[in-house]
Amino acid sequence: MWELRRPERQLLAGCLLLVALGFLMVLGSGQAAGRRLGLLDLLPLLTYAASLLVIHLTLVLFQFRGDQMLPVVAAFLSGLGLLAQYRLGAFEGADRWANVRFIFPGGVLVMLAVCIAGMRGRYRRLAAWPWVWAGLSLVLLAGVLITGQRFRGAVYALGFITPTELLKITVLLFLAGLIDRDAKALGNWGHPWPVPPWLIPPFGALLPLLGFWALLAGLLLLQRDLGMFIILSVALLVLLVAGTARWGYLVYGILAATGVGYLMLTLFAHGQRRIQAWQAPFDDPTGTGWQILQGLSGMYSGGLWGEGFGRGNPEYTPIAESDFIYSVIGEELGFFGCAAVVVFYLILFARGLRIAGRTGPPFGMLLGLGLTTVTATQTFLNIGGVTKFIPLTGITLPFISQGGSSLLVAFFTLGLILAISDGEVAKTRPQQDKPKRRRGRADA
Amino acid sequence: MTPPDPPQLFGAIVGSDAWPILRIGLQGAFFLTLVYLIKLGFDLRGLTELRHLGRSKRSFRIFFIALTILFSCVLLYQATWQLTGLFRPQFLAFMQTYDRRQFNPAHRIRRGRILDRRGEVLAFSERRGDQVFRRYPYGPAFAHVVGYSDAKFGTSGLEAAANAHLNGATVDSLPAWGELGHRLLTRDRNPRGQDLALTLDTELQLLAAQRLDGKRGAVVLLDPRDGAVRVLVSTPAFDPNRISAGLFRTSQPETPLLNRATQGLYPPGSTFKILTAALAVEKGFKGTLPCPADGYATSSRYRKIRDHEYYAARRSGRVWKGHGNLGLATALAKSSNVFFAQLGVGYGHAAFSRNLERFRFNRRIDLYRSPYGAWTMNTGRIPEIATSDQYGLAQASIGQGKILVTPAHMALIVAAVANRGLAMGPRLVATDPPVRLARFMSAAGARRLAGMLRKVVTQGTGRSIDGEGPPIAGKTGTAQNPQGAAHSWFVGFAPANRPALAVAVMVEHGGYGSKTAAPIARDLLVRAHALGALQ
Repeated sequence: MWELRRPERQLLAGCLLLVALGFLMVLGSGQAAGRRLGLLDLLPLLTYAASLLVIHLTLVLFQFRGDQMLPVVAAFLSGLGLLAQYRLGAFEGADRWANVRFIFPGGVLVMLAVCIAGMRGRYRRLAAWPWVWAGLSLVLLAGVLITGQRFRGAVYALGFITPTELLKITVLLFLAGLIDRDAKALGNWGHPWPVPPWLIPPFGALLPLLGFWALLAGLLLLQRDLGMFIILSVALLVLLVAGTARWGYLVYGILAATGVGYLMLTLFAHGQRRIQAWQAPFDDPTGTGWQILQGLSGMYSGGLWGEGFGRGNPEYTPIAESDFIYSVIGEELGFFGCAAVVVFYLILFARGLRIAGRTGPPFGMLLGLGLTTVTATQTFLNIGGVTKFIPLTGITLPFISQGGSSLLVAFFTLGLILAISDGEVAKTRPQQDKPKRRRGRADA
Repeated sequence: MTPPDPPQLFGAIVGSDAWPILRIGLQGAFFLTLVYLIKLGFDLRGLTELRHLGRSKRSFRIFFIALTILFSCVLLYQATWQLTGLFRPQFLAFMQTYDRRQFNPAHRIRRGRILDRRGEVLAFSERRGDQVFRRYPYGPAFAHVVGYSDAKFGTSGLEAAANAHLNGATVDSLPAWGELGHRLLTRDRNPRGQDLALTLDTELQLLAAQRLDGKRGAVVLLDPRDGAVRVLVSTPAFDPNRISAGLFRTSQPETPLLNRATQGLYPPGSTFKILTAALAVEKGFKGTLPCPADGYATSSRYRKIRDHEYYAARRSGRVWKGHGNLGLATALAKSSNVFFAQLGVGYGHAAFSRNLERFRFNRRIDLYRSPYGAWTMNTGRIPEIATSDQYGLAQASIGQGKILVTPAHMALIVAAVANRGLAMGPRLVATDPPVRLARFMSAAGARRLAGMLRKVVTQGTGRSIDGEGPPIAGKTGTAQNPQGAAHSWFVGFAPANRPALAVAVMVEHGGYGSKTAAPIARDLLVRAHALGALQ
């Protein structure tokens, strides 16, 4: 196993070197700006190094056979995030260090725990009662709505923790379980009407799902969490199409999305303002357009190579540490830095999809695909919003943005995908590894 | 203490002179490691295959390709802001106004200068401390053409329309592309824009501004042969060196921001008879029309249209005999309302509006255009005259009633007459090639009309400005308006035999054209002659 996971080791070492270099740049700029350094300032780097070591050793120790790239991608992205957070917090007092000290190691531990608990096919037990997950999701939402407080037009629970982030997992478990169970009924289009089968979806089988979705949509929109609704809805469509092989779901989904989008725009001033800020930021540059334009100004200031880590002025961009972290990277590492981030995200998606495609049990396939879709949609909504490609939705960037719940859930998601990638327990006990590997090579 | 305390050592390195280079080295190493990491992952992809999962059951390749395309589009779009944000004038203006990042290159751009045709500087950028300010040596004289560029109030005029060029962002040649690439790669901290040379003549512009000082009016002077605008003045103007919020208050009656030359709509008065005469010339009008002292009426229900001699005689208690039968040239020289009202009504509504269409009424013409904005002028406005409205047509034929023109349009019309009927596109930037705008008249008709306009100055209402200096041809105008005293007009060109400059002068409530506008036009043409601008 030590030998098998050599690539992971090498790549993690590369990540560590990269983050160390970035760290030196940040420290140097801090020093140049007149900050006194102590040995304590090395703590974030040491924490990071220790976390990578723990990831690798744990996976080796537990004979984990699964994917080696995903931990590396997570390490790279969160390392970059750590640097950016540290760099933003470095000038503003200590409380933002929470990310560095606790949340990142915590996220790593969550990922490992989920992975170890779910590996060898154990994750499939989560498929047992899909409706439990559905109920849990609704309870979670209702709870937040009752106890939460409003901030920046959205509802947050006490202390700015956003428990709704957990929906990305609970709803996905529900969807994967339900679609796995009812795949046949959901794929039975056109019945019993005498029309072409691509025209009429199976309403009977869909009804409970649609009912749940209506409730979910209502609760989410009450909280004005449009971004989460989009993320979950995209996952729903992708899973329906992948689970039943009926492209009709996509067609109806797009029609429904158009309708809902139109309704949203006509009903909610909140959404209209965002569209306005996106379409015509220069109409009100100091008001609705301010945030997006400051972010873009930062990126323009960064140019191709960036100012260098620690040298930019991301403090001029509102909420730079969470939603606009991408523009901080654009400012300090330039267009190349951004492109690298996107490349790593694409590697993440590619691995996630590959794992989903190779997983035998449909539940595993659906869950892997769904979780990858969620991450991809979230990434697109964030990066697209910050670059003014699409309207802002107020969504964090997975692994990089500050925000405890978001980071923990991202690691949780990754842990689940890793668990799926470990595959099933082989039927024959002795020497399970070798024949499998040989067969794989013969197939390839 | 142990000899090398690491934080102190690090502090010493950062404090040393080598740090900036070291920092760039660090950044370079960072990117190299990044590339290496990606390459390593690529090389190791065989070893990280998930063989234990067996062969692929489903392929999500299409999904992944879609994701790749989507994110590539985002990156491409991002590049249009991050790398080529220079091409977004509004974005640049936003950054120059609101961005406090001192490293932002937008703050350091030394905008190119704006020059007149002889290289006289009309606008330049001056660095004071860490900021760049825009200066206008001639103050209000060029305010409407050049405009302003102000950190707080943005840009206007050519400063706005040519913003990208002035910021050095028009990459229209290979070296310019090379320059842009160089700037991106090396992160040039002090980008410099490109100069913009105009067709204006500072001497004449200043003279025109001085002659209009204290009045409300406009002067346009252009070369009929290639459309180069030499003078474009509108008063009152504002000082682009001192833009304040009060300037934008719309309640000011002086409206100093309004460019009267290109946007101000005025009744043309008798200068419009040039257009009615053009219609007659093109229709081959020969012979005479009776012009009785009592005037001409389209119907008994309307007031009669009479000549100014009639009113002058009545005011002094005399009786005027009337012009009798008039030919076209004499009628133009004497500016007979009775003659041109009959003429216009005679040709009818259809021919009349076709004629105006030919002279490009109800249009907007670009004097300068870039992908980022345009510097435009309006042509005259004429609403549809109902075919039953004979009186309206008679009024329009003498430049009263519903007809409105801009001074720039009148200059363009008289320039076309001077240039054998061909109107050249007016242009402000010296490097723009001359373009044909449209043929307003046939060459023969234009030559005939030009001769008549010369007669106006030698024998007609423009006699007062005939004399020494270049031979001038033109037409006076005294436009009645409901706001007060008549607007004073003169449009014309010189030298009459080989026209090199066309002129339009309009003074709001200036009284008789021959008294106020015509002398200004003459002085400008005489000075231009002295400067050798009539070659």
